[in-house]
Amino acid sequence: MSVKHGILTLLFQQQHHGYELKLELDSLLGINGKINPGQIYTTLDRLIRDNLVSSPGSDDQERKLYEIEPKGKDELEKWLLEPVPYYTSKEGFFFKWNCARKIHFEQEKNMLEQQREMIIKEVMELTNLKTELLLQGDENKYLLITGMLLHLEADLNWIVQVENRNR
Amino acid sequence: MIKVNNLKRDFLQGQQRTQVLKGIDLAIEEGEFVAIMGPSGSGKSTLLQLLAGLDVPTDGDIQINNKFLNKMNEKERTIFRRKKLGFVFQNYQLLSTLTVEENIAFPLHADGKLTNEKSKMINALIHSVGLEGLNHKRANLLSGGQQQRVAIARALVNNPTVLLADEPTGNLDRAMAEEILGLFLKFHRQNKQTIVMVTHDIFAAGFADRIILFRDGVIDKVISRKDSDYAKYLANFMA
Repeated sequence: MSVKHGILTLLFQQQHHGYELKLELDSLLGINGKINPGQIYTTLDRLIRDNLVSSPGSDDQERKLYEIEPKGKDELEKWLLEPVPYYTSKEGFFFKWNCARKIHFEQEKNMLEQQREMIIKEVMELTNLKTELLLQGDENKYLLITGMLLHLEADLNWIVQVENRNR
Repeated sequence: MIKVNNLKRDFLQGQQRTQVLKGIDLAIEEGEFVAIMGPSGSGKSTLLQLLAGLDVPTDGDIQINNKFLNKMNEKERTIFRRKKLGFVFQNYQLLSTLTVEENIAFPLHADGKLTNEKSKMINALIHSVGLEGLNHKRANLLSGGQQQRVAIARALVNNPTVLLADEPTGNLDRAMAEEILGLFLKFHRQNKQTIVMVTHDIFAAGFADRIILFRDGVIDKVISRKDSDYAKYLANFMA
């Protein structure tokens, strides 16, 4: 999970101060846990250094505000459109999709299609490998790959369900 | 080798003529495992029926092992089918009151009495599809997965060069489908049988060497893992 892109998602919507970012990020992560506040501030420093985020000043309680720069928006869009390799896809793609929904990302359809393409490629390659393992009698590896394929099947079904509900 | 040239099949619905296959050209190599995918009504099952000699084309040629199926009369086609082709259906199509052994032996009766040698072969088949000990169990008392195993053994009893399967895992859950596809793969590699399997399931199609995509009575594309853009094409096709 990427704190950097979580922050960019939240700042895409509006300006925030650091503590708001922490609370919002915790909620974006859902059941996956809480973010250490220190991690938020070090990430914000890096984002400012890289010109992805800037600070327009402070709010009426003297809390430093942050806002997204055009370069930050480009970076967020680039990240959202990048398919997630299978080994991180469960958490990674759901988080990314959640970010996309939060900002009403116009290219959600495109995102889902690209993820589906990646899953299908994985399915075809893993099935090919699985058939070889089956013929070689390598039961452990065969079962591991079968397990991965079952996850992929669930992910693929989930994408179809999201697409159907978006229609 | 299977060669299909300009294959057409029309059906009459009242006064209306519907072209289900609109001129298919296709070549399947000996020993190849091919999956056919496509939406309902795209013509994939019709093609399989024609390849099996269970139906005749309106126009075009079907060659299997250099024999023109469309130029045979019904009797010749039946004999060819019995000796050279095996067929597995989605709904198994077993004779429910016969036992496992009797169902598997059924295609052999046309050639006369069961010899000892043939009985041994049936036992070997029962073993290889994992139904040991169920020889005398009636087909209607078997689970779906077991029935499909019997159907596969029956399809293989004449040691056909081509095995045709229409949605063979369509009625089975994922785990059972996996076992059935594993059997296909085993026989395909062991006996070098050509397999043509119609499926709507990408997880089943992944077992094949090539995937033929059907749309509206024509071949939309033939997909191979060697093609750089195959996943993109498949993803779009399935969307």
